[in-house]
This record gives sequence, C-alpha cells and structure tokens, in this order.
Amino acid sequence: MSTATAIELDRVTKQFEGKRNVMALDSVSLAIPRGEMVAIIGPSGSGKSTLLNLIGGLDRPSAGHVRVDGEELSNLSDDGLTKVRRDKIGFIFQFFNLLPTLSCLENVGLPLHLRGWTRKKVDERARELLDLVQLGARMQHLPDELSGGERQRVAIARALSIYPPILLADEPTGNLDTHTGAEILTLIRDLHARLKSTVVIVTHDMNVAQSCERTIALRDGAIVEDVRRRAASPGEDVRRKHTGVGAPE
Amino acid sequence: MTLLRLISWPYFRRHVLRTLLTVAGIVLGVAVFVGMHTANHTVLDGFSRTVDRIAGKTEIQVTAGETGFDEEILDKVQSASTVRVAVPVIEAVVDTNAIDHGGQGNLLILGIDMTGDRSLRDYDLESGEDAVIDDPLVFLAQPDSLMLSKEFADKNHITVGSRLPLGTAEGEKPFTVRGVMKSSALTSAFGGNLAVMDIYAAQKMFGRGRTFDRIDLAVRPGRTIAECERELQTMLGPGFQVEPPSGRGQQFEAMLAAYSMMVNISSAFALFIGMFIIYNSFAIAVTQRRSEIGILRALGATRRQIRWLFLGESAVTGLIGSIGGVVFGVVIARGIAASIGTLISDVYGQTQSTTEALATDPRLLGVALVIGILTSLVAAAIPARNAARVDPVQALQKGKYQVLSAGESRLRAMLAAVLGAIALVCLVAPPLTSASRQAGGARALFYLGFSLVIVVALLLSPLLSLGLAKALRPLLTRLRPVEGVLAADSLIQAPRRTSASVAALMLSLTLVVAFAGMARASYDSIINWMQTALNPDLFVMPSQSIVVRTIRFPPSVGPDIAAIPGVERVQTVRDARIVFRKTPIMLVAIEVASMAQTAQRVPVAGNADQMYRRAGAGEGLIVSDNLALLQHLSLGEMLEIPAPNGLVRLPIVGIIVDFSDQQGTIFVDRRQFLKYWGDDSVNVVRVYLKPGVQMPDVRQRILERFAGQRQVFVLTNAELKAYILRVTDQWFGLTSIQIAVAVLVAILGIVNTLTVSITDRRRELGVLQAVGGLQGQIRRTIWLEALSIAVIGLTLGFVLGAINLYYILQIVQYDIGGMRLDYEFPYPTMLALVPVMLAAAFVAAIWPAESAVRGSLVEALEYE
Repeated sequence: MSTATAIELDRVTKQFEGKRNVMALDSVSLAIPRGEMVAIIGPSGSGKSTLLNLIGGLDRPSAGHVRVDGEELSNLSDDGLTKVRRDKIGFIFQFFNLLPTLSCLENVGLPLHLRGWTRKKVDERARELLDLVQLGARMQHLPDELSGGERQRVAIARALSIYPPILLADEPTGNLDTHTGAEILTLIRDLHARLKSTVVIVTHDMNVAQSCERTIALRDGAIVEDVRRRAASPGEDVRRKHTGVGAPE
Repeated sequence: MTLLRLISWPYFRRHVLRTLLTVAGIVLGVAVFVGMHTANHTVLDGFSRTVDRIAGKTEIQVTAGETGFDEEILDKVQSASTVRVAVPVIEAVVDTNAIDHGGQGNLLILGIDMTGDRSLRDYDLESGEDAVIDDPLVFLAQPDSLMLSKEFADKNHITVGSRLPLGTAEGEKPFTVRGVMKSSALTSAFGGNLAVMDIYAAQKMFGRGRTFDRIDLAVRPGRTIAECERELQTMLGPGFQVEPPSGRGQQFEAMLAAYSMMVNISSAFALFIGMFIIYNSFAIAVTQRRSEIGILRALGATRRQIRWLFLGESAVTGLIGSIGGVVFGVVIARGIAASIGTLISDVYGQTQSTTEALATDPRLLGVALVIGILTSLVAAAIPARNAARVDPVQALQKGKYQVLSAGESRLRAMLAAVLGAIALVCLVAPPLTSASRQAGGARALFYLGFSLVIVVALLLSPLLSLGLAKALRPLLTRLRPVEGVLAADSLIQAPRRTSASVAALMLSLTLVVAFAGMARASYDSIINWMQTALNPDLFVMPSQSIVVRTIRFPPSVGPDIAAIPGVERVQTVRDARIVFRKTPIMLVAIEVASMAQTAQRVPVAGNADQMYRRAGAGEGLIVSDNLALLQHLSLGEMLEIPAPNGLVRLPIVGIIVDFSDQQGTIFVDRRQFLKYWGDDSVNVVRVYLKPGVQMPDVRQRILERFAGQRQVFVLTNAELKAYILRVTDQWFGLTSIQIAVAVLVAILGIVNTLTVSITDRRRELGVLQAVGGLQGQIRRTIWLEALSIAVIGLTLGFVLGAINLYYILQIVQYDIGGMRLDYEFPYPTMLALVPVMLAAAFVAAIWPAESAVRGSLVEALEYE
C-alpha cells in the first residue's frame, strides 16, 4: 500500500449468516488516496453501510483485507480496532447519535475523555471545535435544545475531536432538510479543505455525491462504477443508473 | 471517574426509581446481614458481659452443667492447694410481675455466701445499713433480705425497706430490700436487673435442696490458673467443668449454633435477593443503554472501558447501598435483638436482658461494607460483560439482540449436560449411608452437586422457556386468535428476554418451595412427635415457662400429686443441660419403666420393647435422632457421659425422634440420674388422669393442694402443644418474611422483564398500531405475554423447587438441626401462589401495556 493511500480494500467479502445467508459485499477492491473526498452511493441493501463499517473498524470482513492509514485491520484484536477508531477515524451518523444527557461541550469532549485527556485539555479542544463549527454560543446546551442542523454540527465537531486523518459519514444529511443539508455539506467540504482529511460519505443524496471528488457506486455488494471528477462534474448519469432516485430538485 | 460522571450519573438521574430500587437491593441485603449479626453479637455479648460482671475477680468456675452439685464439693474445692478462696453461687431468674419497671420482667437473683464472697465481688452500698454487709449474720438472720442494684431500684422507685414480691418455688414471696448497691460492673450485669440474697435462702426459695449451682474461686498467689484447673479437674473428675468464666459464654454460643446457622442462612438469602435485584437492574440498564454503548464503542471506547464503566457503577451503587444498609442494619438490630432474646428465652430457657447496649462491631460493619460492594460487583459482572460484548454495529442499527442463536442453544445444552452429569456424580456417587454422608469430602461433593443443579436449571431456562412458550402457543391462539399469536411469538422470538423473567420467577419460587416445604415438614414432624411423645393429660411445673429450669420441685411433689383423687399415674421428669463432647445437650431423666407403659414411640433404630426394658433396667441410654445425626452416633455404641458422681458408661439401646432440644437429647432412667448426678429435683410432673375424670377438676385440686406452699403451674396437654407450636412459629417466623420477599422479587422480575420487553419492542408495537392494531389488542397482547411468562415461571419454579426441597431437607438433616424431616411438597402454599403470581404478572403488565399504547406513535416508529 502506498503511503499516499489512506484506505485500501483488497477483495473484501462480507457475508451475514442467518436463516438465509446474505452477501453484503462480494470481493470488493478499492483504494482511496489521502485527502480525497469520496461519495459512496447505491440503492438500499447495496452494501454501502457495510463498507463504511468495515473501513471504520466497526465490523470485520468475512474474507479479504482492509487497510486503514497503513494498518491492516483484519489482523487486529478488538482493542486494536478500537485504537484505530479512536486515533484515526471520526464518525458522523445520520441520526447524530449524540448522548442526550450531555451538553454540546461534553458530547464533543467525550472521545477525548476516552483517550484519558485531562479535563482542562478536553474543554479547550471541545471549545475550539465548537467554534470551528460555529456553535461557540451553544456549548452548554443539551442536544434536545438544538435544531437538526446544529446537532449534526455538534456531531461533526465530535468526529473531529482528535483531528482524525479519516472522516466517515453515514448519510450526514439524510435526516436534515435541504437547506440545512446543504449547510452541513458545505461545512464538511470546508473542513476537508482546511484539514486535508480523507472523507468518505455514504449517501443517497446526489447533491452530496456531486460535491465529492470521486463517486463510487455499489450494487448487490459490488462496485459497479467508480467516477473521479476534477471539479463538481455532473453525476446525473451515475445517479440514474445506480440509485434509481429521481432527478435532483 | 469522568465516564461515571458523564455517562452513569445522568442515567441514574433519569431513572431515579430504578436507581433507588437497585440501591435498596443492597441496603436490604446488608441491613439484614448487619442487623442479624449485630443482634446475635449483642445477645452473645450480653450473656458474656453478664457472666464477666457477675464473675468479678473470679478466675475459675466449677460447674456440673445445669444439674448443680452437692454442698460437700465446696469443702473439697476449698481444700485444694492452688485455691485461695472458693465461694458457692446459686443463680436464678425470677419474674417480678408485681411491679412496673419499664417492660423488663425478670430479675437475676444471685445467691451468695456473704462471709466469703466479698473477696471476689464488691457490694458497696449506696443506701442501707452497712451492717447488712459488714455483718453477714444480719443477712443470715433475715432470710427475706434482698440487696438490689441501684439501677433496678432507681428504675422502679424502690428504696431500702420496700417489700418486693418475687416468684419462688414456694410461690410468690415478699422480700425486704435491706440495701441498694452502688453502681458497679456487678450491678450493671443483666442490664442492671440484679439482686443478691443469701445462698441458703436461695437454696430454699428456688428448690435447690442442699446443692449449689456453681463455685467461683480465685487462685492462690504464686499458682497459675492452669495449675489450679488441673488440680481441681483431677480432684473432682470429668463430671465437672472447671474453666474460666469465659467458658460459659462459649457454651452459650455452642447452644445457639443452630440459631446462628439460621442467621447466616437468612443473611445469605437477603444478600442473594439483593444480588438478584442488582443483576436485574443492570441487565435492564444494559438493554436500555445499548445504543449509548454502541456510540461509545464507535467513538473509541474499549470493551474494558465499557466493562469498567458498569462495574464502576455497581461499585458506587454497592458502596452507597452498603452504607445505607449498615446504618439501617444497626437501627433494626435493637428490634431483632429483642426478638432473639424472646426466642432464646422460649427455646433455650436462657433469659436475656434486652437492655444491653448494641454490640456494634466495627469489623463486622467493615465486612458488611465489603460484602455489599462485592455482592454488587458480582451481580453486575454478567451484565457488565454483556455490555462490553455489545456489537457497535448492531447496537447502532438495533439487530435482533434477544434472539438465541442455534450455536448458543447448542452450547448451553451441552454445558448443561456436562454440568448435569457432574452434579449427578456428586450427588449419587457418595454412598447414601449416614456415616459417609457426614464425611467432609462427601459433604463438599454434595454441596457442589446441589449448586450445579441450580446452575444447570439456569442454563437451561432459555431453552425450557422456549419449549414451554411453543407448547403454550396453541392454547393462546385458541384464547385470542390475534393477541395470543402475537404474545406467543414474542416469547418464542426472544427466549433470552423471556428467560430473564422466567429465571427470576423460577429462583424465587424455588426458594419459596424450600422455605414453605421446610416449615411444613417441620410442623408435621413436630406435630407427629407431640402426638406420640406428649400424651399426658396435665403437665405440672414450678415455672410458668416449660424451658426455665432455675426453679424446681422437690421429689415429694410426685407422690403428692399421685395422691390427688382422679390421678391415675404420674411421671417425674428432670431435664438439665449438660456438656457432652463439648456441646451443650439436653439430659432428660425419666421413669423409663412407667414411660414404656404410656408412650407409643417407635424408635428409628432399635426395638421398642428392648429399648424400654434395657433403659429402664439402667442398662442403656436412649438418644434422640438429631443427637445421633449431629454427633454421629449409632445403635449399640457405648457412650461415656461425665457426671458429678462418676463416669456414666452405657450403650445406646434406642434412637427415637425427639424435638425437645436442637442440639440433641439423651434419655436416662431417673434412678441412674439420681445415682450419678445426685439431683433429686423435678422440673415437670407428667400427670395421667383416670378415665372419665374431669380435667378442670383435677387441675383445680392440684392447684389447691399446693396453694400457699409452692409455686405450681398446670398446663393441659393442649396448652403445652399450643406453647410448642407458638415457639415453632417464632422459629419459623423468618420463613414467612423470606417467602414474602421471594414473592416480591418474583413480581419485580416480571415488571422488569416486561419493561425491557416493551423498550425492546417499541418500534414493533408502533408498527402494529400503524398498520391498524387497536390499542386494546396491543394491551391484551402484553397482558397475555405477562401471564404466559408467569405460567412458564411457575411451571419451572415448581419443578426446580421440588428438586431443591429434597436437598434442602438433606442439609437440614445433616448440617443444621439433625432433624429428619419427611419430604412433603407444600401444595397449599404453592396452590395459593398460582393466582397470586398470575395476578402479580397481570398487575405488572398494566403499566408497560399503557406505556406501549399511550406513547407517541411517531417516536415509537423512529425509535430504531
């Protein structure tokens, strides 16, 4: 794996066992260079979230290799995977997954507490990040007291708490209205540009996909298209072909 | 700490009721532990303190069990070269019912010889004529003289010159208070309720004849206590106990061994219940906080951090609960001590002062804190492990968490089969003979096997729940075609969830069966024994209580009663506690030949005719079944019983069931007793009436015959039996509380499981409503589910309880009281429990059902 590659999947297969075995990913190979912003699209059940979980070390492949920032995840113990998540990956979820009992400041500081940082350092970093996502005035608010967009900003600030080299976002705009979604996307792009992180976004939203440098389309657990664009190139054809979703508004 | 503050504290605050319940679990366990043990220590310490305070400067005491000994022994002891001073003592606890003294009905009378006793004890007077003690003749000349402790006199507003009526062997007699002793260690003995009288007056008043209860002595300067003990033991023989005053405390402790065992069992039970409540609460917390755990894991929390988060919570809960438990335990200890005091007084005849300060042992409190925290940690260990194992992907996506995989089912079944086989080997392999069963190794195997049976049942509970749920499905379907199917399928699809509640119910019911079964078996055995052993029409006693032996009749009482018209036969009985193989047991001196004519007791070992004939001829002894079991005795075995007049060496000619004493009883013919113990006094006269005679008439004649001469109490057969059953009730009083707690825990288990079930199925229930399910249908589904859980739990609980009861009775027989109890499943209690548990399940389901139908449908659908 080249040092310029942030994420590499080598013939990765993921099969869920049950009454009926389900092949979520079927021998997928993929390389994402450092600093790239990639969208993964595809219809429901195509394997997008599974792919993201494997990259994030939340799950293990049934076969194949996943390398993240040079680290082979397949060989790692559970604690090893946790360490990778803790040091290298920031997660952004569709439903924010903020702890409702913690203030914005505490939610953002939580990953740092897990790393054993002192309270003072945690507070300093959390304030810095909340300022970065323009929520400096809402630090002591509880998630319930925020709008959807604000909650997602807090979740993004939390994902950035250690300025991870890789940011994984699962439908980050899926639970937001169009306007707020666009704001969040702008924020992610802005952060990507400023922090030079590798960003992988799973999305149904073609506007999100179009704003990424690269779009990978999945269907039935396999990559069916991998399109790089220099700027914001049209993605209409990809969308129509692989998502079945109607034209963008 | 930070995680506890950030994650745990908000959860506790949001679930105040559940948190309080969890803490209450530990408070309950620790409080019972502290309360029972503190009360027990208080009673034991009270006894030891009384012994110490009365002992004064006494270094050695000479006793012969409760039988006392001839006055001549005093001369022997005084002649010993190692003895500086030796004085005789008589102790008796008398009722002072004539006066009001704040609830304390007993006064400890110390009969002493004033001429020598002041070398060992101080009798400084607060008021009165110093001549009373300076000149012992004043006391001797006035046998009604009494010196009271300042504490007792103050409490009852008694002054010098007052007349105080006391119950004596000669009836109620007025005594004159000649002095009030200054407060000292001595006067504070027995809670300050102490009086002193001349020893010879005491002999007369308490029917001692020419015997003393005890000799207190001090060792000659330059000689050691050990030297003196050796000299006296050699001089007096093995029939006497020569030991420091503390030895009496140890004997008292040994006598209470069975009671202490009950205390330990109750404490363990309370801690077990506490553990169970904590387990349940944490198991629910893990289920409810699965998504929170998933988030933490996704953010980089290691499994260890998650496990320690939950263990930390349990440690804090345990600490808070333990502190609360210690405080609460100390508060309830006073009440428990009073109740133990009553019990000991009723069962053992050892009257206790209940005004002693509580013996709060800092070490015990420390141990209680540690036990509380450890209990909490152990209870939370499995939920914490489950929390650490939560799969972050599933937790964030909400997979089918409650499903039992085929692999896990196989694993559980295999593990249960292996452990079941080991249990079988442990329980069946040791030969079933009593001797081998009592061997240490065999007992250890037995307990291992017994524990494994419970573990196997717990392991199998999800599979059995699944099976029973499937079996119930057709019935539920027939009852309510829609709701029945939904309820049955919910149970079938989530056996793990169902089994949590079923296991709670099963274990609780198992305990209920054990306690109820034990109580029933004991009752039946005691009633059976009473019917065969206690068949006289009347029992005549010198004391109101059958177990108080400090006041006795002279032997002439027997013939006097026999001469009363209407009396066909009398049997005089003298029972006394003696030390046999270092254990205080009961020795009962009876007229065996006469007993053979009236008793219909079938020996459990030996031939009835031979038993009575040989024991009556002084050729053997009869022992109780519990003594044989506890002391490993068998028919024909030669027993050696040290007595004041020599060593009794006789074989066991019969073993009979007898519940007179928990440590066991030896029956000896009265003539042998007179020969070896030289005690001709009588505790009880058993009276048989002529046919057709009116019992109340004879009773009245007996009372009239002794009126003004001596204190006589006449109990009818029914009254005596009622007394014994009342004491038995007291003994098993704890059992009803334990049954109630077990039932409560079972109900709690159902409430908890249903809460989890509803939390878990919020979306599913929301979807049901969204697609047209009526609120009534949802309600009925949950109700039917709860009732089904109760039915499954009851079924498994009864089965495991029935097995468990068999082993509990074995434990009672071999390790606790030596009581051979017949196996009887407590059907009445169990049948009564069926509607109770079904109703409890229904009530428990009301709130979850309402919460399911009343919550926001939108929120429910978004829940996942």
